[in-house]
Amino acid sequence: MAAWVKGGATDADTAIEAAASLLAKARAPVIAGLSADVAAIRAAYDLAGRIGASIDTAGAAATYAELGSLSRIGAMTTTPAEAVGRADAVLVVGAAPWRSQLMKRLSALKPSRGRAAGSDRALLALGAGSEGAAATLACPAEGGLPEAIAELRAYGRGHLAGDTPRAKLAGLLADAQFGVLLYDPAEIGELGVDMLQGLAMELSETTRCFTLAIAGPDQDRAVVPVAAWLTGQAPRSGFGRRVPEHDPWRFDVARQVAAGEVDAVLWLAALPVPRPGWLASVPSVGLVAEAEANVADVVIAVGRPGRDLGGVLWNEQRAALTYWPASAPSERPSAASVLSALRDRLAEGRAASRSEPAC
Amino acid sequence: MSTLTLRAAPPERLDFLAINPLALSRLSQAEAERLEVGTTRRGVRLGDCFSVSLDGSDTLTIEGGHERLDRVGAALSEGAIRITGDVGQRLGAGMAGGRLTVTGHAGPYAASGATGGTIIIEGDAGDHAGGAVYAAKAGLDGATLIIRGSAGAHLGDRMRRGIILAGRAGAFAGSRMIAGTIAALAVGDHPGYGMRRGTLVVGAHGRMSPTFVETGAHDLVFLRLLARSLKGLSAEHADLLGRPLRRYSGDLATIAKGEIWVAS
Repeated sequence: MAAWVKGGATDADTAIEAAASLLAKARAPVIAGLSADVAAIRAAYDLAGRIGASIDTAGAAATYAELGSLSRIGAMTTTPAEAVGRADAVLVVGAAPWRSQLMKRLSALKPSRGRAAGSDRALLALGAGSEGAAATLACPAEGGLPEAIAELRAYGRGHLAGDTPRAKLAGLLADAQFGVLLYDPAEIGELGVDMLQGLAMELSETTRCFTLAIAGPDQDRAVVPVAAWLTGQAPRSGFGRRVPEHDPWRFDVARQVAAGEVDAVLWLAALPVPRPGWLASVPSVGLVAEAEANVADVVIAVGRPGRDLGGVLWNEQRAALTYWPASAPSERPSAASVLSALRDRLAEGRAASRSEPAC
Repeated sequence: MSTLTLRAAPPERLDFLAINPLALSRLSQAEAERLEVGTTRRGVRLGDCFSVSLDGSDTLTIEGGHERLDRVGAALSEGAIRITGDVGQRLGAGMAGGRLTVTGHAGPYAASGATGGTIIIEGDAGDHAGGAVYAAKAGLDGATLIIRGSAGAHLGDRMRRGIILAGRAGAFAGSRMIAGTIAALAVGDHPGYGMRRGTLVVGAHGRMSPTFVETGAHDLVFLRLLARSLKGLSAEHADLLGRPLRRYSGDLATIAKGEIWVAS
């Protein structure tokens, strides 16, 4: 097992010991990233609960844009397979969805099922910038995407009328048999998602219209259900007071690091996600598949689920959690087993008492 | 007047939900000092960070605030709390009555879900002042929130009823408002985004969304009544209503019963 402490190669036991001591002396440890298989996410919540850590995920900005809107007005959603099979009009909101794999399938194939089977698929772009060259009709969004979505919705409701490109866009969606609004929640934000869901719901009064959010490179789509079944809450929870407390502002790890509230971070990235800039400024343990000696103060190389070992991951194409067998099995330990080892070490020693004088 | 005096910067975020004049009046000095206010696994007791002096009155002064003091005056139902210094998030969240005064700045979500009482922030407020927290039904819900300095983005997001007065406010002021009144000397881009009902009175604004339409200048009795009720809270804001006003109606993306009055 490859492991490093302060950049120097070492063996597994030493690295786990160093990681445990780094976490044991922390006042407010955080387990961040959570880009891993379901077993490792479960183990991360278990460890957090035992040591009183808080949790944050790699794709939290997008996740909370989605959840914030969902908790307020609900959602009209569909799956990638349904969108490819049935949609005769796809409104692509923003630039990010054009870079997704799904767009290639939507462009290459025609609807094959349902009322729109055999007809052409209209690809409509709203605020795509330079990305939306393949669109049938493209509208810019000079005032930002939330404003553009709001105007589209006002045309959809009949509160605005005119012969503008956005009016035409709203008309095409209303005339479609099966419309899909494709978006990246991180790009349009909670207000944009809220407005887009409202648009889908209103269009669905006369035709069929659904939203579809593209997922980031993170495993947040797996973390949300796991967090819900383990804590009854969304991912950003803290266990400092023994019970899970959900607070998306307080447990935002980037904010916590900037405010100096965190003194140890365990970065879990068994599947590669971009490494955040704040990681270098706080004592850290890295459980990573693509391990480098300088990722964190203590680095332990773990197996990548779906390559080194099997694991349950978010399957973007099927929009479900599915098992991925190992494509190139190796001896690397699973992230879940390393987290369990850490939990066993930390459970041996007594956690710091909650009533020691602090200042 | 009971007093809590901060001795040193708190080592972690503190939760002041349980610290209010009514709760402290029932406790002895030693019991109050043992109240758990910490939020991490180590924890902090009130006496660790504050010198406590109690007299059983309905007024509490916190001498020396800090941006790590969360939920100060949250769920307050009677009495008054005065903080000389800054506070953290959720100042006066869910407050039902009484008076809160902060001489410094407040963090995000001040007065979220507050149903009654008055909250005065003499410095600046963070984002979502008078706004709803995650999964809450509404933001400000009947209380009066006065921000003498500037407010961040999303001022009064999803507020349900009550009054907010602010010096300057950031982008998306009054977003998704359900009802209520916001008056600000200036607001940023996209005021009233997605608002259903409610009234915004602004001295100046950034980019106005095309989903708001101008409906002309009006001289309504309602505006004079509003000016009279604001006069007691802030003469500066009441004066906005004395200037010629243009009315914008929106947000047309929703049921469009909201209005933005722009003073010229």
